[in-house]
Amino acid sequence: MKQVQVHPERCLGCMQCMLACATAHSRTKSLFTAVGESPLPKPRLHVGAGSHDEGFPNRCRHCDPAPCLLACLPGAIFRDPDTGTVLVDPDLCINCASCAMACPFGVLRYHQDWVAPAAKIVAQKCDNCLERQHEGLIPACVEVCKTGALTFEESDEALRRKTREVARSVSMGMEEQPLIPTGVQLLRQAKKQRFEMRCR
Amino acid sequence: MKTKAEERTITKDGQLLLKKMEQDQVETVWDRLEAQSPQCGYCEMGLSCRVCAMGPCRIDPFGEGPQRGVCGADADIIVARNLGRMIAAGAAAHSDHGRDLVEVLAEVAAGKAPEYSITDEEKLRRIAREYGVETEGREVLEIAGELAAAMQEEFGTRKGFLTMANRAPAKRREIWQKVGIAPRGVDRETSEMMHRTHMGVDNGWQSLLLHGLRNALSDGWGGSMIATEVSDILFGTPAPTPNMVNIGVLKEDEVNIVVHGHNPVVSEMIMRACESAEMVELARKKGAKGINLTGLCCTGNELLMRHGIPMAGNHLMTELVIGTGAVEMMIVDYQCIMPSLGALAPCYHTRMISTSDKARFPGMEHREFHPDNAAELARTLVREAIENFDQRGETYIPVEAVPSVGGFSVEAIIGALGGTPQPLIDAITAGKIRGAVGVVGCNNPKIKHDYGHVTLTKRLIENDCLVVDTGCAAIANAKAGFKVAEAIKYAGPGLQEVCGALGIPPVLHMGSCVDNVRILVLAAALANALQVDISDLPLAGAAPEWYSEKAVSIGSYFVASGVYTVLGPMPPITGSMNVVNLLTSGLNDVIGASFAVEADPEKAAVLIRRHIEAKRKALGLSALDI
Amino acid sequence: MEYVIIGNGIAGTSAAEAIRRLDRQGAITMIADEDEIPYCRPMISNLLAGDIAAERLAIRPSSFYDDLNIKPVLGRRVQSIDPAAGKVRVGDSDLIVPFDRLLIASGADPRISEVPGSQLPGVFCLRNRSQALDIMAAAEHGRKAVVVGGGLVGLKAAHALQSRGLQVVMLIRSAHPLRLQVDASAGRMILAKLREHGLQVLVEAEVAAFEGSGKVLENIVLADGQKIPADLAVIAKGVAPAAGFAADGPIGLGPGGGIVVNNTLETTVPGIYAAGDVAETMDVARREKRVNAIWPEAVEQGIAAGFNMAGRRVAYRGSLSRNVMRIYGLDIMTAGVVEPPAADDSYEVVAVTDKHRDIYHKLVFRDDRLVGMMLINGIEQGGVLLSLIRREVAIVEKKERLLEPGFQVGKLMPQYFK
Ligand SMILES: Cc1cc2nc3c(=O)[nH]c(=O)nc-3n(C[C@H](O)[C@H](O)[C@H](O)COP(=O)(O)OP(=O)(O)OC[C@H]3O[C@@H](n4cnc5c(N)ncnc54)[C@H](O)[C@@H]3O)c2cc1C
Ligand code: SF4
Ligand code: SF4
Repeated sequence: MKQVQVHPERCLGCMQCMLACATAHSRTKSLFTAVGESPLPKPRLHVGAGSHDEGFPNRCRHCDPAPCLLACLPGAIFRDPDTGTVLVDPDLCINCASCAMACPFGVLRYHQDWVAPAAKIVAQKCDNCLERQHEGLIPACVEVCKTGALTFEESDEALRRKTREVARSVSMGMEEQPLIPTGVQLLRQAKKQRFEMRCR
Repeated sequence: MKTKAEERTITKDGQLLLKKMEQDQVETVWDRLEAQSPQCGYCEMGLSCRVCAMGPCRIDPFGEGPQRGVCGADADIIVARNLGRMIAAGAAAHSDHGRDLVEVLAEVAAGKAPEYSITDEEKLRRIAREYGVETEGREVLEIAGELAAAMQEEFGTRKGFLTMANRAPAKRREIWQKVGIAPRGVDRETSEMMHRTHMGVDNGWQSLLLHGLRNALSDGWGGSMIATEVSDILFGTPAPTPNMVNIGVLKEDEVNIVVHGHNPVVSEMIMRACESAEMVELARKKGAKGINLTGLCCTGNELLMRHGIPMAGNHLMTELVIGTGAVEMMIVDYQCIMPSLGALAPCYHTRMISTSDKARFPGMEHREFHPDNAAELARTLVREAIENFDQRGETYIPVEAVPSVGGFSVEAIIGALGGTPQPLIDAITAGKIRGAVGVVGCNNPKIKHDYGHVTLTKRLIENDCLVVDTGCAAIANAKAGFKVAEAIKYAGPGLQEVCGALGIPPVLHMGSCVDNVRILVLAAALANALQVDISDLPLAGAAPEWYSEKAVSIGSYFVASGVYTVLGPMPPITGSMNVVNLLTSGLNDVIGASFAVEADPEKAAVLIRRHIEAKRKALGLSALDI
Repeated sequence: MEYVIIGNGIAGTSAAEAIRRLDRQGAITMIADEDEIPYCRPMISNLLAGDIAAERLAIRPSSFYDDLNIKPVLGRRVQSIDPAAGKVRVGDSDLIVPFDRLLIASGADPRISEVPGSQLPGVFCLRNRSQALDIMAAAEHGRKAVVVGGGLVGLKAAHALQSRGLQVVMLIRSAHPLRLQVDASAGRMILAKLREHGLQVLVEAEVAAFEGSGKVLENIVLADGQKIPADLAVIAKGVAPAAGFAADGPIGLGPGGGIVVNNTLETTVPGIYAAGDVAETMDVARREKRVNAIWPEAVEQGIAAGFNMAGRRVAYRGSLSRNVMRIYGLDIMTAGVVEPPAADDSYEVVAVTDKHRDIYHKLVFRDDRLVGMMLINGIEQGGVLLSLIRREVAIVEKKERLLEPGFQVGKLMPQYFK
């Protein structure tokens, strides 16, 4: 089954995925109108800063077993059997944040949402864009991520691809190309250096 | 483990005030940088393009996503266009500042700016002659009017060359001609850059970059140089003057007025108002011991250079200064004034005043200065500042000010050398001084405040490199105590001997950031004296903590003038290794100098010393292995 | 294989489900006091508040016992266990249930008050569904309520009664609420918030008696003589493991009164397991045996006990005290050691406050490991910190970094993902 795969080493921190996610979860599905909605749609994935201020896309891993699901008091968190997606039922959620305490990735947020009962604050997390998938679309974050930090593929395919890339980066010959392009490396080095200097 | 404040700045005053602002729960530039993190990698690499409405576009540096914008521009073109526009903005800022001064000069000549005058008549005549204006037996104001008109010509297109570019050595000018980057007009090159970077115009990344150099030259040998020279004519050519620096210059018992920005046109008038007996008397009546005018950033540098006005701090100190609670009024003109200041001042009692018709700030009162109302408005503002004195709450001025000496214009340096650059040349030839380095540029919260400037400068003077500095770098070095005669104790033996004999510090404050042109003029004078090109000299430039577009322009005109230049923060170019390679090595073959990027000042010092020794060797001078 | 489970709370329920995943054949008998479909005990306070309907408490379908082929013995209490014979005696009847594997998941009982008048009608505990319904009935006619105790259940009860429109007075013995969860500064913040929301809180108050004329509660009398009029009272003075039936047998009890288990949830008697609020486990942060009477531990221990009983060895990593509540406009998340012993210098405390965001965060480290946290507001990343505590990850970062506003799991690369 295809899953959203995260490759943090490719994240540039542009936050396009956050915009796309919020838009995909809006009522009107267009960025320009979504920003005028009330409640304001919010992203389900969060681009944070990594240890040297590089981008780090953080989204629900749809863990199995899922700590949030086990911790949810009213049983509002459940797994969609077809896709393995861990979902929250906004009608059942009592906004207790037990899931936030359980999630080792810190991806849950609490706010109103147009699909939840009006004015009710409920737990929100990535739903793998199941609605879009039903329409034959891929998850919104993957669609807008141009660097390949977010991909939608089978996990063993992702692994195979990674292996190929590593092999290519070390093999000699014409096809040789670094795993991380030189320009990106330069930038990351510069950022890392900033951190080292701060501690001097 | 370092505290957060210690990670953010090396300065004691900065650290203490950061702690206080944290207690006051007032947000600073560092907090906002943290909140912005991670910053967009496409933009950091120069790979995002907002030039047209078919876009915005971005190029995937990993090679799988889009490799061309909607228009078809690839990474090289987009990076070059973005860099070109940065240079254009920087050149525009400096040059517009220059234009404002020329306008004042013209109004003085026309008798429309009664409170301004020609202060350095000798310089007026000298520059006028350079511009081909007849000076013999003519009235000062007549000459001033004609010089102003001649300079205004340079902003347009009819003239086709920049007079002061002729100060560059002949060899340099030949290179410019050969490569096709001799600047033709101040505004023209900026305007052309905007044209070239419009969609569908210049899509040669090399030609874009070369035009970028030409655009920068129009700033260095044009707009900025005009700004500096006219400022000297109007307000006096700087000569060595002692002053005090860091936040300790604020006074508990006096009315503190801080000027911030870049243009001396406003701050000079404020200074005169502060000095007037009437105002001082008023301040006494209000229970203050007097009026204490201090500066920030380059408007501060302008006053420091000419009048020894104390300097409260550089770019990253501008918010912290308000945190002392001791500032009655901050008066700003333009450039590098963080729009956060207006929102921050109400946390204290400071009144914030904006003065330029082209620079407004949220939360500031706008009181517009023009040459005809300047003196009166300055007095009104100073009066209001005095009246604000009794609104003061608790104050916190935790450090003692440090002494420094400023005012090293080219004229002053040559003067200190006994009227000719020869003693300096001799010292370099003898190897006592290995070379000279301009340490310039801003502060950037991405680099620990002042760490880059101070560390690099220290390493350079330790190794007998004379340092000349400007802008925020100059303030950093002054705070570090490098600018008093006794500071030769930090210098290597050769530099110590030379500076000791001349009675000058090992680090010479050459002014504000437009005054980087003083460094160009000095370099040109040395090259001309030796009949070589600037690129042959054991010189280098460095901008260890740069942040602004102006700095990109400065760095580019340094390199285009033949000075190897090391940048601290990485410019947004790594999206194109072609651009990176051209700027960091390819340019050597084209114009005899290039950039380097090295955030760590320890390593930057090594790069610079290595470069200097290589140049020495090529000149047949003694050279060390670094 | 005969499995017997005492208690149909979440520990017993999770264990039964785990057993069934591995063993479809064995017989499972669940003996439980409450005649209910497994329901969510913490949510009885939401029921009391009127936020949810009583039907919503159930967290398993009504066919639960049938679905899992469990023999339910409901509405009856286990009286005693004969470990040697492998038998459980139910009630004072002669129902004797034999077992090969026994799970004690009898949870906890509320600590009751010993002062005069505690037996008066109108004086309640809030531990199960029927008590919640009783309080609701009493609240129909009442206007004034008193809650004795400022722990989690006390706060929830007070909040629920306020939502029902009652005037509520909270009596707490210490100087601030949540004494077991938060430190004094946070306690003061919380106290102020409660009062802001109209809850009257009397601190350092000791109840001397419940007073009533005839059969109705009228006043609560404090040790200092003060009388507080009340139509109903809820006693929330914490809970104690419901292990009475094991008290004088060979099954070992710990200092906390809970049944001591090892890392397979087995008690000191082979074949007998315990899980949930009744069990005393190794606390990973404190490194000592402790009863951590919280829902997520009951779930995990139940699952682990079930697997071990059915023959799959799974090691239980130990428990961790933790709580989260969003109440009175505050988000409070705590875990592990929040107030380290002052004399012990192997602990290090790092804290931040942010008045703008009304945040107070505190982390407690022992050597280079995180062993405790207390987050008042801004709790989103609490799960990440908690997993650092549970997994005993060595922190190589500067400790303050874990409290910076931008902290999230990406800052912990790569050690976190090891
Ligand atoms: C109002 C309230 C709010 C709470 N909120 C939270 C919260 O927000 N988060 C959290 O983590 N925890 C919370 N808790 C605690 C949580 O409910 C318990 O930790 C959890 O329910 C324990 O589950 P358990 O299965 O171990 O025990 P229990 O749920 O107590 O189940 C034990 C069952 O065994 C029965 N039993 C006891 N003795 C016998 C016997 N001798 N014979 C037969 N049956 C017996 C009991 O009647 C009971 O039905 C709350 C508790 C209450 C009361
Ligand atoms: S929310 Fe967190 S715990 Fe739940 S499945 Fe997603 S990542 Fe796992
Ligand atoms: S906040 Fe909602 S989804 Fe999360 S644990 Fe509580 S009820 Fe479940």
